[in-house]
Amino acid sequence: MSALYSRAIVIEDEKQIRSFVCEALEQAGCQVFEAETGAQGLVEAGTRKPDIVILDLGLPDRDGVEVVRDLRGWSAVPVLILSARADEMDKIAALDAGADDYLTKPFGVGELLARVRALLRRKSRLAEDGGAVAVFGNVTVDMARRIVTRNDEPVHLTPIEYRLLCALLASEGRVLTHRQLLRDVWGPTHVESNHYLRVFVGHLRQKLEADPAQPRHILTETGVGYRFQL
Amino acid sequence: MLNRPRNYLLAAGACVTMALVALPLRPYLDLVNIVMLFLLTVFLVSWRLEQGPAVLAAFLSVALFDFFFVPPHLTFAVTDIQYLLTFAVMLVVALLTGQMTAGLRKQARMARFEEKRTRALYEMARALSGALRLSEVVAILRDFLRDVVQADAVLLIPDAHGELRPQDGMRVRYELHLAVAVYEGNADDRRASKTMDGVCYYPLRGSTRIRGVLAVAPLNDEVLLQEDHPLLEAVASLIAIAVERLHYVDVAQQAEVQMASERLRSSVLSALSHDLRTPLTILVGLADTLNLSRPPLAGKQKDMAEAVRDQSMRISGLVENLLDMARLHAGQVKLRREWQPLEEVVGASLKLLERALEAHPVRVELAPDLPLLEFDAVLIERVLCNLLENAAKYSPAGSPVEIRAHRNGAMVEVSVGDYGSGIPQGRQDRIFDMFVRGAPESPMPGVGLGLAICRAIVEAHGGTISAANRAPSGACFTFTLPVGNPPEIIEESLPPEVAA
Repeated sequence: MSALYSRAIVIEDEKQIRSFVCEALEQAGCQVFEAETGAQGLVEAGTRKPDIVILDLGLPDRDGVEVVRDLRGWSAVPVLILSARADEMDKIAALDAGADDYLTKPFGVGELLARVRALLRRKSRLAEDGGAVAVFGNVTVDMARRIVTRNDEPVHLTPIEYRLLCALLASEGRVLTHRQLLRDVWGPTHVESNHYLRVFVGHLRQKLEADPAQPRHILTETGVGYRFQL
Repeated sequence: MLNRPRNYLLAAGACVTMALVALPLRPYLDLVNIVMLFLLTVFLVSWRLEQGPAVLAAFLSVALFDFFFVPPHLTFAVTDIQYLLTFAVMLVVALLTGQMTAGLRKQARMARFEEKRTRALYEMARALSGALRLSEVVAILRDFLRDVVQADAVLLIPDAHGELRPQDGMRVRYELHLAVAVYEGNADDRRASKTMDGVCYYPLRGSTRIRGVLAVAPLNDEVLLQEDHPLLEAVASLIAIAVERLHYVDVAQQAEVQMASERLRSSVLSALSHDLRTPLTILVGLADTLNLSRPPLAGKQKDMAEAVRDQSMRISGLVENLLDMARLHAGQVKLRREWQPLEEVVGASLKLLERALEAHPVRVELAPDLPLLEFDAVLIERVLCNLLENAAKYSPAGSPVEIRAHRNGAMVEVSVGDYGSGIPQGRQDRIFDMFVRGAPESPMPGVGLGLAICRAIVEAHGGTISAANRAPSGACFTFTLPVGNPPEIIEESLPPEVAA
């Protein structure tokens, strides 16, 4: 398991939640460091060289979004956000600030571990600097030659669809907010044109998903953005 | 002011005194100069007194001059006929002087009067600008009218239902139908607003609409002077400004109170949701931890840990529903409406309910020509999830669940259908009410909030939701969303190889 020997920092003020999250991570083979406050968490993150940070958005001392922003100033460590459903805007702000994924309370341990593993896998894959070919379902994307095939048949993508696919592939396993995708694909002047993004994601699904109404790879995070899953 | 008989006596006295003073000087002065002295007297009289005494002085002067000074003395007879011309000229000059000075004096008095009123008006305006309550406005108004025009007034201001209500000043006997006519702008002619008993009605014209009516009645049953109308109109507009200002102060205060109470409600809701969610998160987490503990739990304990987890998740769903309902009811939910394809939110809902729908094949039929719709994705996802969850809950395992959507005129109809037992007869309309369930004593868990939430959300989007049974079996829930004016999507230019 890739979680083995990984270092995790859990920043959560609620003692019981912290303890079961730590317990689960330890059982999965992680070395866990706990922090009760944002300030303490940042210190831990600076000294422990973690492989993943699990951060509660509702901390007593600091705004969780600020903690993410601070952390991103000097570290690319994957960040998993724990948040309540009502805090949609906070969640989006945290993701925009550079968090990688989120879990809505209440969450199960299985779900937590799955997300942690996905982020750790992604981290190790980035370290390996995998090839220029991505494969998901029956679709192959050859980024060096800019060729997309589905069931070995070439699929024609428009330039924007291709750019969008590349942006999704590059952030595989992470949640990308509407704003991030719009900025990456259309440029910083189009960050409010959410409907464009949705229409083009629809196009991509039509061309690449077996059932566009029940996608398996280009997943919707309603109200937040998208997640690409291999 | 001096009374009239006294003025006439004064005028006569002045003339007689002048005659007595001039008499000893008769040998030394020409008659022409004596005439001048009498003219001076008439002038002084008309300057100091009114026109009547001045006229008396003019005639008396001519008579005295004739009697004492024109030969033959001590008789009104005149020997030299040319003195008649002197008398005539003297009389005309005296009368004209008297009239002119009286006119001037009257003008001066009017000017002083107007100045006094204008100053009073200014002072009222200043006092009104500091008034914080309607009662203060009324007090200032009544003081002004009493001091300046000897009148009383009543202020008629519409209440919350638009009915004119008097604000103090009960002694004015106004007639409501006349006031209402003025308030509704049906009595432009000022005469129409004036009644037999001298009460005048003035509309309080604010910047946007008439704010009320001012009814003015004279004190002491005197009929209001015609000259007072411009002044009263000015008073009415000052009062209108004050009333309008107070109205907006009121509006601002109400808005502030409302905002404060909304803030309170939302903070209570979010505190509640946090306080409920935290222990539930702990429960779910601890149950899972037990479940995954090593060595593994025995069969029965494992089942119990799983039950704890499932029940906690259920309570969590219930709490979410209750809080959502509270928010929707409080009008707290701000729709984050965005243009988007329906397909995406359908996909997201199916993904969320993957586990609940495991036992049911799902058929999705979305018309290919569906336009982009403007809705809040999170909320519509909730509607779909609630409907799909119900479909899964109330239909036998293995039976399909169907989602359909097509355009019907200005609306898009979305329906979720199942092959279960359907909705009990006669309950189709009521099941969207809060805490009402299809079958009251159903063994299925639930409190009857899901559909109420669906209805609140759909109606907030300008759509409708309905339920029906379908043949041969099963229920079908249909909701609509307005099509509106979808934004145009400018497709990118096609790449060269396709264009060619």
